[in-house]
Amino acid sequence: MPHIKKKHMQIVDSSESYEDAIALAAKPLLDDDYITEDYIDQMLESIEKFGTYIVLADEFALPHARPSEAVKKTGMSLLVVKNGVDLKNNDVKLFIVLAAKDSTTHTEVLQSLASFLMEKQNIKDVINAERVDDIETILEKRLK
Amino acid sequence: MKILAVCGFGVGSSMILKMTIQKALNELNVKGDVVNSDISDVKSQNADAIFTSPDFVNDLKKRVNTPLYPVKKYSDLEEVKGQVEKFLKDQD
Repeated sequence: MPHIKKKHMQIVDSSESYEDAIALAAKPLLDDDYITEDYIDQMLESIEKFGTYIVLADEFALPHARPSEAVKKTGMSLLVVKNGVDLKNNDVKLFIVLAAKDSTTHTEVLQSLASFLMEKQNIKDVINAERVDDIETILEKRLK
Repeated sequence: MKILAVCGFGVGSSMILKMTIQKALNELNVKGDVVNSDISDVKSQNADAIFTSPDFVNDLKKRVNTPLYPVKKYSDLEEVKGQVEKFLKDQD
């Protein structure tokens, strides 16, 4: 199952805005040619259009947009903002960017992510991790 | 019984919501189908209830007669379970 690669994970102390945080969270996917710049714009537009339901749990957001030509390869990236950033009145510390090339290939990944997110402690443990290696270990063990 | 989980695109968040609703149904020992959909496709789906973001409720109210149950955080099992229980109570 295509999990989040360690090189696609980042930890920072703070971020100026949720727009900056989402752009930073998506940068590894941009650099590795999973997505184009357009996809970042589309993710931000979808928040304007549809609201903040991408904040799926306390302190967690799943920025994404619909499958499009802006996605070349299905993938996910992760960003922890230690001090949190405001996403329209939600304090978000963990971002997982979802880039889906079509509406089926990522289903399995989302199902395991859904189970992972229902355990609030899992989100807390990722946020509290000191290094990306620790996040990788947590995800390897619990994201099944 | 069929529950529809709705988000803007029908690919990411609604899938997560679908899983949370299924887990809530399991914990309540209730059998039911959960299907996910995007906001524009809602009309073509027959369902007994629609679970979706509070931001979509007003729009959907104008378009469908299906009972709507708002959920703020799609992965929050307690919140979703509360709304599932409310739906089951409304069914009686």
